[in-house]
Amino acid sequence: MRPNQVAGLALLALAAVGYYLTTTFPAVPEMLSQNVPPTFFPRLVLGALALSALALLVPARGEPARPDPIRAEILVTAALLVVFVWLMPRFGMLATASLVAIVLPIYWGERRKLVVGGLAVGLPLALYLIFVLALGMRLPRGYGW
Amino acid sequence: MPDIAIAFALLSDPWIVSWIVFGTLGGVVVGALPGLSSSMAVALLLPFSLYLEPIPAMALLSALYCAGTFGGSITAILINAPGAPPAAATAFDGYPMAVTGQAGRALGIAAVASSCGGIFSVVVLVVAAPLLASVAYGFGPPEYFALALFGLSMLSAIGGSSPLKNLIGGWLGLLIATIGIDLTTGVERFTFGVAELYDGVDFVPVLIGLFAITEALNQAGKLAAPLETIRLSATRLPTLDDFKRVRATILRSSVIGTFIGILPAEGSTMAAMVGYNEAKRWSKEPERFGHGAIEGVAGPEAANNAATGGAMVPTLALGIPGSATAAVIMGGLQVHGLRPGPFLFEEQPTLLYAIFLSMLVANVLFLFVGLAGAKVFARISLVPKALLWPTVFVLSVIGAYGVNGSMVDVWIMLLAGLVGFVLKRNGFGPAPIIMGIVLGGLVERSLAQSMILFDQRWTGFLGRPVALGFFALALVSLAAPLLRRTRG
Repeated sequence: MRPNQVAGLALLALAAVGYYLTTTFPAVPEMLSQNVPPTFFPRLVLGALALSALALLVPARGEPARPDPIRAEILVTAALLVVFVWLMPRFGMLATASLVAIVLPIYWGERRKLVVGGLAVGLPLALYLIFVLALGMRLPRGYGW
Repeated sequence: MPDIAIAFALLSDPWIVSWIVFGTLGGVVVGALPGLSSSMAVALLLPFSLYLEPIPAMALLSALYCAGTFGGSITAILINAPGAPPAAATAFDGYPMAVTGQAGRALGIAAVASSCGGIFSVVVLVVAAPLLASVAYGFGPPEYFALALFGLSMLSAIGGSSPLKNLIGGWLGLLIATIGIDLTTGVERFTFGVAELYDGVDFVPVLIGLFAITEALNQAGKLAAPLETIRLSATRLPTLDDFKRVRATILRSSVIGTFIGILPAEGSTMAAMVGYNEAKRWSKEPERFGHGAIEGVAGPEAANNAATGGAMVPTLALGIPGSATAAVIMGGLQVHGLRPGPFLFEEQPTLLYAIFLSMLVANVLFLFVGLAGAKVFARISLVPKALLWPTVFVLSVIGAYGVNGSMVDVWIMLLAGLVGFVLKRNGFGPAPIIMGIVLGGLVERSLAQSMILFDQRWTGFLGRPVALGFFALALVSLAAPLLRRTRG
């Protein structure tokens, strides 16, 4: 299947799911909605999306070639980002930032221990000085703080 | 005291000047770093600008926008890696010049052309924006709906590979903008019971995700890519003869860039490409292009910086973003509680003049910064990706979290980044989605008001000539890619 066909079908599915969800919106008296119900605009956009997705299914000249498979480094990086965000409210944002500054550079190939160590200490320190002390931001501190 | 005089007085305040200088230096650095664009930098700084008063905040973001567009040319010329998409055309001739020992000459021309283009467009902005705003005072909901639709239709004319995909990106943005409680009826839409979504999806986390996280993942796939570098000893600056040779190119590209910038949704990248093509078309020696023609540097650089001022014209006067970065700046105005559009000229004239002057100062400042510090900035661009992108990720998290102090926003940012990456691999860029989100509220509100006004009859639009004019323009811009394909 062509990449545009896959994208078109995925968008059609999204439009269908979106339309179904609009049917679950509670009914509103016409007086209140002034004849413009809450489903009106979302359905209009979903219709435009569905029509555009159908157009994407039609073969066209100069279509993009199938992209290369996603590299393992990207998938692992994405997974690491998810884990970091999950850890933030648990470990605290500054401690997690330090962890990010160690794990990601090493995974991305940085082998200079002093550089990685400097970033692991310097990054949370800079964040603390700028955002917590100077700007007065309240960052998640994690459990037990 | 006239508003412009107050704005001048404000800009003599060292506090505000320091933010403009910071924005300019930061913009050049960010622009010079491959992968980091001015859109991303403005998006990342937007949550932190909330800690500033509106005038220094907008001065900072405007300066960052102007300088970031220029910064991309430094790495385009020195290491053949455009710091940002608008500088891609600059590399065509800038890098061959650098390879043949003319790096200083290319950088000098780029700085002067960028500065001239930027200053020209700010002058146009100062004159055109109030005029456009005064016309827009008379617009009602039908005209605004038609105008916003025209802005969205221009997405199909963006110089990307697929007009249809740009349009789909716009629809997706509009769909995201419908999430939350419908203001007319109080009905929850697509919130799935998540209380943080009742007020809608805050667009700041979405745009940080789409720009920063998407690019971080993109860079993860290029870890092994070698970076071509040249020795930076070639610092011969441009001569007076060089400037004489490119002055017509700079002027032409400044006009082209400003005009393209004014068109809704069309930004610096398209301006640079057209500026380059026109420089080549008007040249007496077009065969030199691609091999180190000095006009090949001046053309795109004047055009891409001219597009910055141009893009701010519809953004400020109509509330319709002229480019992706202008959309982010417009979002900045909104989060500061300001209403972009004609009423801004009545309600906040001092702020507007402060924005104009900040852009002017930034365009002058980066000329000196660019000429004096090009070597330093080029070295910054060699910061290892393995250190740069983890830092960007942490700043993105703090930026998303800082808007409402909510981890839900951080998850939204991450989700936007992951989805944005998949979309980008399939040819859907982030800019149309951002445009859709930013324009979503205006489109829905003005359409609903129009339908109430016309008693549910779409034919009501037929009695509004200005709206009909915008619909006609929208049709033309939708048909333009088809016509281009037919002619091609």
